[in-house]
Amino acid sequence: MQKPVSSNVSAAVLKPVAGRWSPPKAALWAAALSPKVVVGASIVAVMVICALFAPYIAPNDPADQDLTNMLLPPVWSAEGLAQYPLGTDSLGRCILSQMIYGARVALLVGFFAAVGAMLLGTTLALLAGYFGGWVDRLISQLVDLWMSLPPVVLSLTLMVGFGTGVGNVILSIVLVDWTRFCRVVRSEVIVVRRKDFVAAARLLGFGDFRIIMREILPSVAPLIITLFTLQVGIGVIVEAILSFVGLSVPADVPAWGMMIAGARNYMYQAPWGLFLPIIAIFVTVLGFNLLGEGLRVSLDPRLRKRSV
Amino acid sequence: MSVLSFDKVTVTARLGGRSVDVLRDLSFDLRQDEIIGLVGESGAGKSMIGRTVSGLLPENFSVSSGDIRFDGKDLLTLGKAERRALLGRKIVFIPQEPLSALNPVRTIGAQFGEHLQHLGIEKPRRRALMIERLRQAQLRNAEEALLRYPHELSGGQCQRVLIAMAFAGEPMLVIADEPTTALDVMTQARIVRLIAEQQAAHHTALLFITHDLRLAAHVCRKVGVMYAGDMVEFGPAAAVLKAPSHSYTKSLLAAMPDLTGPLRVLPALSDHMPGIGSFADLPGCRFAPRCPAKDQSCAKTRLPPREIAEGHWVRCAERCSAGGPLQAGAPLEVLHSDKDRGNPAVAFDNVRLSYQSSRGFLGLQRARFDAVKAATFSIREGEILGIVGESGSGKTSIGRLIAGLEQPSAGTISIDGEDHVQDGRIIHLTRRDTQLIFQDPQSALNPRRSVFRLLTQALEAGAGYKPENVRRPSAELLLKDVGLPPDCLDRFPAQLSGGQRQRVNIGRALGANPKLVVADEIVSGLDVSVQAHILNCLLDLNRRHGLTIVFISHDLAVVRYLCSRVLMMCGGEIVEEGETEAVFRHPRHPYTKALLEAVPPESADRAWPPLLQ
Repeated sequence: MQKPVSSNVSAAVLKPVAGRWSPPKAALWAAALSPKVVVGASIVAVMVICALFAPYIAPNDPADQDLTNMLLPPVWSAEGLAQYPLGTDSLGRCILSQMIYGARVALLVGFFAAVGAMLLGTTLALLAGYFGGWVDRLISQLVDLWMSLPPVVLSLTLMVGFGTGVGNVILSIVLVDWTRFCRVVRSEVIVVRRKDFVAAARLLGFGDFRIIMREILPSVAPLIITLFTLQVGIGVIVEAILSFVGLSVPADVPAWGMMIAGARNYMYQAPWGLFLPIIAIFVTVLGFNLLGEGLRVSLDPRLRKRSV
Repeated sequence: MSVLSFDKVTVTARLGGRSVDVLRDLSFDLRQDEIIGLVGESGAGKSMIGRTVSGLLPENFSVSSGDIRFDGKDLLTLGKAERRALLGRKIVFIPQEPLSALNPVRTIGAQFGEHLQHLGIEKPRRRALMIERLRQAQLRNAEEALLRYPHELSGGQCQRVLIAMAFAGEPMLVIADEPTTALDVMTQARIVRLIAEQQAAHHTALLFITHDLRLAAHVCRKVGVMYAGDMVEFGPAAAVLKAPSHSYTKSLLAAMPDLTGPLRVLPALSDHMPGIGSFADLPGCRFAPRCPAKDQSCAKTRLPPREIAEGHWVRCAERCSAGGPLQAGAPLEVLHSDKDRGNPAVAFDNVRLSYQSSRGFLGLQRARFDAVKAATFSIREGEILGIVGESGSGKTSIGRLIAGLEQPSAGTISIDGEDHVQDGRIIHLTRRDTQLIFQDPQSALNPRRSVFRLLTQALEAGAGYKPENVRRPSAELLLKDVGLPPDCLDRFPAQLSGGQRQRVNIGRALGANPKLVVADEIVSGLDVSVQAHILNCLLDLNRRHGLTIVFISHDLAVVRYLCSRVLMMCGGEIVEEGETEAVFRHPRHPYTKALLEAVPPESADRAWPPLLQ
């Protein structure tokens, strides 16, 4: 307990700081109002709604084949049918419905792969950056080694080994992409670790674990959030690549990469079958990148505009 | 002949739809071969003057009224290109941070040469001219310095290069913006001397911007005192220093500890200088909210400048100028650390701290650097021990050794008579009764913790753990102890002023209920009035609660005010030790003598800077 005393200097009453102050809530509001975040978050929200409520939104069952209406163009062209707003593929399946259902796999894989890569990469980064020495050398060299493997080939190989399935796709992306987190977060941890407040915490009797959790992790959290958002976009792309070569989910589950693969053979007769899933991927990844970039600017105190 | 004249210049900033006068109605006239000093604490607007002259005002800032004339030309109506042509040729700047003002990837010669090229000097003449100018700036090995990169020179040497560059083109006006703030005391004296010599040799007009009124009074013939964008007093340097007439100037001088004369309690001003966000609410004298002698009228309306002597005017009421309420504080009770008083709390015996660095092929060559060489001294219970030295003297390393953040490479440290390492653990880290107050609160306070969580950090874990409901009252007590208002508790460091942050920094260390506190340069980044607060706070903690304090500083006057005993450090060695008064009055070691001479004296009558090698 601190001795109950008051000093004579406390007679000098200090007034609140001049000017506007910005509690962390204000930072979050500033983040929410930046145009990049608004556009990015809206795109992401639309995709999440599509994924969650696919059965209610989709006009048709994506697996239903209508062999009398194969390779139909979208509804606005002369041969289009109202039943298939964006046309059908070579097996007569509704493209719009497949795209809506495809958002499920894309987001599921993107989100959980990012969570996994974040947990693995951040944990190792905290250990390496905080303890330094041989721990750091070991982890950093592992990261260097890992990053010299070509990422797509690595995940393809892993998928061949694991077999198809959403869980395995997530696992293979985590095993490839944790290095990105590890490398970036580690350098930030090293910067924070040298700050005097970490030494102060040691003098106050904080143990290593407590210092990492209470002092260092909160300081690198904005960076982790930003990396996480960007990683979801990367996960969506990798999933599309894997499903394009048929190594992602089983053939009966709709996925954007698989739609591109299927439409590839008919791209001259029915280009929309190719372009529509590409647009879906493009918009989703753009949404996550805008969100991530916007959050980076708003959450990074160095890039925040100084309020006078 | 007038070189630079400001006539009722007002600089207005637009802040979120409101216009605020950042500089108000500023007038002065700088003539050839004259030095004017501009003095003020941070936020006074003194650097804004330099930016106004160079035309490099921040966005949304503009000169809204008044006239700026340079060499008879109206600077404000001059075209952009003509104005830029003046910069670097007729108007030059000497910056605050010499190292960051030079390009780190180009040699001194390349940068100086480029500057001469800009001045229109043909290539064959450049090298000889550079060497001549660097020699005049008393840079040793001028030829060799041309081949060096900025980081290979010291801060003082870089500043010499910049001074040589500034005077190379025979400018009409030199603006030196805090040219010695980033330098050590002894280097400061040498650089100030160099600037004054060069100014006299080239008959240049010099605008000398500083936060140190005593320094300005010794360098300049005239000084202007700035406060929150106003020039509150202007006059001959000696007169301003001897008979300050504005309440602010008086309190500024009163808050500076002296190196000679009787010790007195520093009267500290309340609050801090208003930020530009609150200028709009201060129509009258902007110092009024803090002024001990304010009345209704001077807070509401701005007084016109009043001439009190030839060339000495002040914007303050007549009743304040004469005598006034701000005289020297009560005499300070001096504590002598008798040999018998207090047991040694910490004793160093031949302690060495060295760093190994690997060099050469595969790091096979090892180089040893001794930050502390064989230090033997003790700290007695209940005393305030000062450790004085310039940067690189090893004083911070001593502090970290005392706190247990570094381990000695040789020698022993004992705490309360026991060895400080027991069972492989450092006892003061486990006991938590030694705390270190770090120099830079920016780095020492976790920006993501609120003031409440910073102050009670010691109660969060380990032996001192207290549940949340107990922490709140103890945080409130700590807040009072360090003199912060209760509404600070839920704020974050970014929302506090520099002085308030330093208080939180002190409060956190006190939260662990320490017996010994090591304060490492904790007032060096603060303004004088805030510094007085912090010093009084430390004195109070020591006198009332018997807290043992190790006060590390380069500022001799501050050390004299606070410390009963002092260690002088130079190059990792303790060169002199003794009672502060005795050491400062009769210094024995040449280093102590030189250090004492390098401090600008309180009285303007004594000639300064001294001749230094």
